[in-house]
Amino acid sequence: MIKIVNLAKRFGAVEAVRGVSLEVPEGAFLVLVGPSGCGKSTMLRMLAGLEVPTGGLIAFGGDVVSDGEQRWTIEPAKRNAGLVFQSYALWPHMTVAGNVDWPLKVAGWDPAQRSERVGEVLTLLAIYDLANRYPNEISGGQQQRVAIARMIAAKPGILLFDEPLSNLDAKLRVEMRTELLKIHRATGATSVYVTHDQVEAMTMASHVAVMNHGLVEQFGAPRDLVADPATAFVATFLGTPPNNLIAVEPAEGGASFAGGKLLPGLDVDRPVDFMYRAEDFRVSESGNSATLALEYAEASPIAGRYMVTGTVGSLRLTAVVDRAPHLSPGDTIHFHIPDRPAAVFAKNGERLS
Amino acid sequence: MALAAIDGMGRRLFAAPGRFLSVFVLAIAVILIAAPLVKIALVTISPQTIAAWGDVLTSRLSPNLFYKPLGNTLLIGASVAGGCVIIGGFLAWLVMMTDVPFRRTIAVLSTLPFMIPSFAAALAWSVLFRNERVGGQIGFLQGLGMEIPDWLAWGMVPSLIVLITHYYSLTFTVIAAALATVNADLVEAAQMTGASRRRVFFGIILPVTLPAVIAGGSLSFAGGVSNFAVPALLGLPVRMQTLSTRIYGMMEVGQTARGYVIALLLVLISAFFLWLGNRLITGRRSYATITGKGGRAKRFDLGGLRWPLCTLALTISVFATIVPVLVLTASSFAPSASALLSNWTLHYWLGESTPSIAQGLAGIAHNPDILSAIGITIGLGLIVAAAGSAVGLLISYSLVRAKRGFVPTAVSQLCFLPLFIPGIAFGAAYIALYGAPIGPFPALYGTFGLLVLAATAFLLPFAVQTGRAVIQQVSGDLEESARLTGAGFVRRLTAITIPLSARGLTAGALLVFVKIVRDLSLVVLLFTPTMPVLSVVAYRYASEGFAQFANAITVVILLISITVSLIANRLQAKSQPWLQA
Repeated sequence: MIKIVNLAKRFGAVEAVRGVSLEVPEGAFLVLVGPSGCGKSTMLRMLAGLEVPTGGLIAFGGDVVSDGEQRWTIEPAKRNAGLVFQSYALWPHMTVAGNVDWPLKVAGWDPAQRSERVGEVLTLLAIYDLANRYPNEISGGQQQRVAIARMIAAKPGILLFDEPLSNLDAKLRVEMRTELLKIHRATGATSVYVTHDQVEAMTMASHVAVMNHGLVEQFGAPRDLVADPATAFVATFLGTPPNNLIAVEPAEGGASFAGGKLLPGLDVDRPVDFMYRAEDFRVSESGNSATLALEYAEASPIAGRYMVTGTVGSLRLTAVVDRAPHLSPGDTIHFHIPDRPAAVFAKNGERLS
Repeated sequence: MALAAIDGMGRRLFAAPGRFLSVFVLAIAVILIAAPLVKIALVTISPQTIAAWGDVLTSRLSPNLFYKPLGNTLLIGASVAGGCVIIGGFLAWLVMMTDVPFRRTIAVLSTLPFMIPSFAAALAWSVLFRNERVGGQIGFLQGLGMEIPDWLAWGMVPSLIVLITHYYSLTFTVIAAALATVNADLVEAAQMTGASRRRVFFGIILPVTLPAVIAGGSLSFAGGVSNFAVPALLGLPVRMQTLSTRIYGMMEVGQTARGYVIALLLVLISAFFLWLGNRLITGRRSYATITGKGGRAKRFDLGGLRWPLCTLALTISVFATIVPVLVLTASSFAPSASALLSNWTLHYWLGESTPSIAQGLAGIAHNPDILSAIGITIGLGLIVAAAGSAVGLLISYSLVRAKRGFVPTAVSQLCFLPLFIPGIAFGAAYIALYGAPIGPFPALYGTFGLLVLAATAFLLPFAVQTGRAVIQQVSGDLEESARLTGAGFVRRLTAITIPLSARGLTAGALLVFVKIVRDLSLVVLLFTPTMPVLSVVAYRYASEGFAQFANAITVVILLISITVSLIANRLQAKSQPWLQA
């Protein structure tokens, strides 16, 4: 349904997007996730037709809608796509109903159809009562619903979301996640969703593209990305808590933790990073030859288990364990390192095994 | 026990100065602003003078006294508002929303006309367009052999043109600020619907900026209605009267009661239209939007119109800013405005008194009246800037601290009242109150003290606004964290608030200084020969036909204003090294 080939965007000297290719089927929920400045919003704006790519192409359902080589793009309104802005971009001088109605009016719908459709989407989003209010008279969460109602009113085949939940409080954010997925199913449209919050990506996506420095580091289903991260960046960006990376160096009789402790039986031929999952660590108050001594930093309950963090130097390790240790911050805690790392990454982030 | 005592003491120290402060600022606001206005109203309803109302409103004289000037005043107000919205709005749109070349230059030039006093522009107009209608020298264009019709030389048309070129920078500033806050997302969301540019402009951008357009329009309306210098210089010679010039005329000929009545009516009219403007823009809708990334809005592509529109904008700006200054400067060297560029002489600047030129008036450097006016004007500016900033800071501090209640509400309403009052009416109110002795206090008329009081009161809205911005910017957490260290009020003010707000305070004081140095409408009634100020001296010379002297003095006023602005900019840059990183 959406096909992106080698897409690139350059603003003067800055390469915001540096050749991205991916493809999702109709009805997919694609999440573009990455830290700020990774190019994800630029991607979305190119999909919306608000920016013209400087390289590559975008096709919706087999039709090319943007061609970077030709510097050519179909204008936003003719792409069968709707966009929810991070700021919601509700027109402050129009009521809720007016905001939803105006795009239909521009599109030339007849009045009867328009008012029927406005009622329909306002009801779908449970904001029918607010129809005559102005945007400044309703809460942030309600504004968010209006923005979504406005987008879906014209029945676009592609729904685009630009960090739509980032201005909401934590509880509302969780509710709106569910709501958004409901709307995604109800419309049957293909959705593209930009966020820096990996939890949103993991919970909502059918497909995730993890972006960094204008490139897609890994593209796939959320489960696969967590199970099998392709790069060190993906490994530490996704998951709650994210995976642990330990820098190790070659040493006689195995690899040595950069701090000096020997990890026997693991041969490495150059400095690399070992990845360990938080749930593979065990912690105890006493150590042995297979443990690393860290300074206990904090523990927080998470779904009946405990997330325990220790630090030594710049290294910070997190384990998920059944019981919180009886320690005070500053005490020594011992992390039992599993025999084998879950993955090994080269210093440039590339996965070795 | 000891704890309780400390607690009691702590609380007393905490609360008492606040109450004292708020009563103190209320007293200041009453003395400076409320009292003169109440007094002028009371004077007109006293038994001896109540007949003045009938004279003004319902007598045989009233068409000439009131209704014709009222008609002219409203015509000026409406035309100036319309013209300013069109020109200021056009320039603001060009600078903020389009890809016109030299945007920064146009933006800077567009804010300048308001810096040039309106009498400077009026004087420059008459240097160029004056004809032989009222006698005296003829202007440059007539001197070139062009026939300048009366309607272009005198009266309504030149007044409107000069007033619009003066006030459009005000609407420009207001509308440009509004356009700057139009979130780019709002426009893009409209583009996503497929709306045409026209439709986006009329359906989204215009309604969203409408409050600013109305605000800009009503401000320039009030400006045009209350302006004194321009109709006085360009209209009075051909007997075109506005309410401002009528007030001046009545006071000059000693019919003060009628003058007061007209002044009160002018205050009411001006306030009514500002209120109306405000009424139109406050409603259920608010235009604060949630912030997003925004900002990267695409500018409207003017295509082939880029350069023509750029030329148009630059032409408007050059004629409103640079041309008047050049014309005035040239005129201060030229013995005859009709030959503006020939026979230049320094007489008007440096010459000794010669009976053959200008009835023996000496040049600025040797003219004791002008020299003392320069001293008095600068002194007045400095004292009012200092006093205004101090009072403004104190008042805003008490307002921010007290937040609500009767006293702070009254203080804040009173402090902004002068914004609604034309300068000449305010001057009349000051004469009504302080022109005669009050109890043991002598009459202040003709003293420096009266000028200081009136000017401080008149500019209080600007001083309070600056003070408020400064306090709000600093106060909050920074001030509270200083309070937690145990620092007292004065210490917090001098160690935290003032250093951090030096930039804002200097800017505010500067604004007050420049405004008072180039003000004519307020001081024209308070002027006495023993206490001359530059703008009134210039006005007098201009009305007596000594245009070169008037123009030379106006150039001095411009030089002072510009120099002070530059010095203040330098000081600001040096006073805040932490901003230069």
